[in-house]
Amino acid sequence: MNMKVAALMLVCGLPVVASAQSGRQVNTINLPAGVTVQYGTMSRAGTMVATIDGDNVVRVWSTGSGELLQRLADGGHPPSDVAFSPDGRYLAIVYQLVPNEKGVLRIFEVDSWKVKHEFVVPDVFALALSPDNRHLALSGMVTQTWDVENSRLLADVSPPFGGSTSLSFSGDGNWLATADGDGHVRVFDAATGKPRSSGTEFALEPLAVAFSKDNKAIIAGGVDKTVSVIDPETGKVLRTLSKQPGLILSLDVSADKKQVAVIYGSADSFGKVDHLILWDLDTEAVLADFRKPGITILGGAFVGDHYLFAATSDTQLGVWSLR
Amino acid sequence: MLARRVVLQKCLALGSIVVASHFSADSMLFAFQEGEKQHPKPTPPNPLGPFYKRLAPVNNILRAPGDPGLPLTLSGQVFDTRGDVVPRATIEIWQTNHHGLYDVDGYRYRGKQTVDTTGAYSFESVIPGHYPDKSRVCQHVHYVVVAAEHKPLVTQLYFATDPAFEGDPQKNYSRDPLLQTPELIRPVVLTGEPSELHAKVRFELYLERL
Repeated sequence: MNMKVAALMLVCGLPVVASAQSGRQVNTINLPAGVTVQYGTMSRAGTMVATIDGDNVVRVWSTGSGELLQRLADGGHPPSDVAFSPDGRYLAIVYQLVPNEKGVLRIFEVDSWKVKHEFVVPDVFALALSPDNRHLALSGMVTQTWDVENSRLLADVSPPFGGSTSLSFSGDGNWLATADGDGHVRVFDAATGKPRSSGTEFALEPLAVAFSKDNKAIIAGGVDKTVSVIDPETGKVLRTLSKQPGLILSLDVSADKKQVAVIYGSADSFGKVDHLILWDLDTEAVLADFRKPGITILGGAFVGDHYLFAATSDTQLGVWSLR
Repeated sequence: MLARRVVLQKCLALGSIVVASHFSADSMLFAFQEGEKQHPKPTPPNPLGPFYKRLAPVNNILRAPGDPGLPLTLSGQVFDTRGDVVPRATIEIWQTNHHGLYDVDGYRYRGKQTVDTTGAYSFESVIPGHYPDKSRVCQHVHYVVVAAEHKPLVTQLYFATDPAFEGDPQKNYSRDPLLQTPELIRPVVLTGEPSELHAKVRFELYLERL
């Protein structure tokens, strides 16, 4: 789930109601006293969760042991977004320096937690690193691609208005898909910013976009409650899973492109993010349906034959498994 | 904090502002302050969504007869940051209904219009409701303003009468976590008989030139 959506979620009260649930909780992490999680993301291997917490600290947790691996803060500057590189070697964090204007991006080496790259960027609410770690994409007031090694701006791929809500690189790192506030999903050459097609139109705002690992499909969804499979070459919608129970806030596609995990919000209660469905992308069958009122689902990853995801309540961070 | 005029006077006294011989200090100060008035700041941005819907109809009457809620007239003008009118700007707005719900299936409380040669616009609506889920988001109306040779503006209008501000928006604006400035909170003027009250809000929009 992107930080823009999380920022809106934040403002909403979450009812705590006991209910039945599917899925298996594999770990429970008790948060430090007074600390609440505002946003979180899981590494693609499912071994770590990074959270942006209410005390303006990014904490990195081991999903296996529950151990706090690192605590990353920048004085009083609030973290705007955090993202693991797909290979899990790096963690990128943007700290907001001036609201709506600029932030500082730091890319940490996960092994040593040393800063590998640091540069000033526009204020950011979505961030992605390419699988080969060559390119970085960010969006906030503008949407840009950067050359990581040389800390160099490559291209401005901003939509006409509204910013980009979600960003995803193709498996080879050459293409960037953006879910844009003006109702389009667009694909660009990451190095040059050249559009690959004229884009795909949605009636309502697309909020989530994910490139398949083989570069041959883009999965997108948003406020119009559909999951669309898009041809990246043409922008044409190849298939639509229309029976979606809520706003699509986040989605992940499995490496074999057979499953998609969708995290839902509600149009009537936007802060309620407690519903996740695992879909078979070929048959459009529901493989698993998880709902647990009182928690906020942060994000997850396909690991082996199951989907591992993190969720938070007031005092805990939970790691769940679904298959 | 020192007032700007006091700062200017100190600068003059210290010689850090040089006044041409044919200007008095007072006339220089006057010219500076008048010049500043003529260069207003761009309207602050505010998040777009997530309930923006493409292809909203050209329509400035968003309120239907019998709709619940306090009738509202939203009006203003579109300027650039030199204070010049921006004609032919397109303004698109959308908001929740009185109950705090967006229409995602149709286009209720969504509309757009192109401003006239004076940059003026007007919409007839109702005061939007709060989100129904104990949200801390204050009542608001979304705006997208697009004009040739200007940077598109995405912003939101908030209401000074929102109970969340407890009558002091300057102090309490940050109770809405998306508000980083009180500049987007506008006064609400109530007119009419108590049984037929009508709210009027002016929201001038200042665009940056490309």
